Amino acid sequence: MIGDFDLEALVDLEQTFYETGYEDGFAHGRIHGLIEGRALGRAKGFEMWEELGFYEGFALMWLPIYEKQGRGDDRTMNHTQRLLELIAQFPRINPSETDETDIPKLFRQIRSRYKALCSTLGARPSLRYSDRSQDRDETADATVADAAPDVRPTEKNVWKVEKGSGAAPRAVNGHSFDF
Amino acid sequence: MDSPWDEGHDTTTAFEDLREAEWTKMSEEFTNTGYREGITAGKEASVQEGFNTGFADVGAPLGRDLGLIRGKSSALLSFLLSATSTVLGVSDEEKETLVAEAREIASQLGNIRYSDIEPRDLEAEQHAREHLEAEGQAMEVNEDLEQKKQLESVEDMLSRMSAGENVEGPGRPTMEDVLRLRVRLQALSLHLGFRIDLC
Repeated sequence: MIGDFDLEALVDLEQTFYETGYEDGFAHGRIHGLIEGRALGRAKGFEMWEELGFYEGFALMWLPIYEKQGRGDDRTMNHTQRLLELIAQFPRINPSETDETDIPKLFRQIRSRYKALCSTLGARPSLRYSDRSQDRDETADATVADAAPDVRPTEKNVWKVEKGSGAAPRAVNGHSFDF
Repeated sequence: MDSPWDEGHDTTTAFEDLREAEWTKMSEEFTNTGYREGITAGKEASVQEGFNTGFADVGAPLGRDLGLIRGKSSALLSFLLSATSTVLGVSDEEKETLVAEAREIASQLGNIRYSDIEPRDLEAEQHAREHLEAEGQAMEVNEDLEQKKQLESVEDMLSRMSAGENVEGPGRPTMEDVLRLRVRLQALSLHLGFRIDLC
């Protein structure tokens, strides 16, 4: 009888100690998760928006040039405006948190619109995603250093953290947004 | 007076000491196990939240700012390269100077890394200090980010070597350099008669 009672009390005690430890650990782990997540999210947000901002800036700069120089025909104007519209659709928050936008598709459209604009202008495209194999353009890569020195794209996913859910992370040209 | 319980009393004390030790051991063991598992769970539960915050509050706006002026400088350089000096209304020499300035701005902007302009994460620094004080060791950082930093320092070393310098160069650019380049870009566009909003 006494043995049974003691065992139960002991198990309860063990559970209490475990739970106290768990709560403290959880609070500490949360701080670490936020810190690490922030570092990864900052780097990823920077990488994506540096590329998009580049295309946006490129298009924005050509607008006053057309105006002043009377350069560019309807085709270039159309590419410029379309490019700006596409970029305006791109979320400024972690795209994996937005369900309605097809991010990989939008990214592809933006890149090809930028390349189309460059070719109507006779400008060399500065490809800011040269390590992403499916979009690789050797000729353009080779000219990047001359036209506008490029940031070296990151070699691999830096934010990918496996989650237990088993859901495959969504990818944009090999880059996942779910980290 | 000799008590027949004396011996028994010692035994009781010893027994209590032992019980106390067992108690401490048991409580520590379970508390520590709970703590370890709690850390992992807490981290997993919050890393996405941190990622989204870092993406939206710092990474995306900072990247866009830099991307915008890089794109503008690239467009301006393309324009200058394609335009004749007659179209620009300047002499050939002056055109060369303009091209050189645009190229210099684009090149310096291209040299800027995320790590050069990344704002400090004061909360992370504070927490790292707490770890250092409490355990005498640095907080572990994300492996991939750490690797990238090492890669960059190797790149810096290689570029110093290829430049034939044995001493430290002028150092990495900072946010102030970005602001200076932004002003130079604006001056160049205004000089060419293009009004651009350099937010």
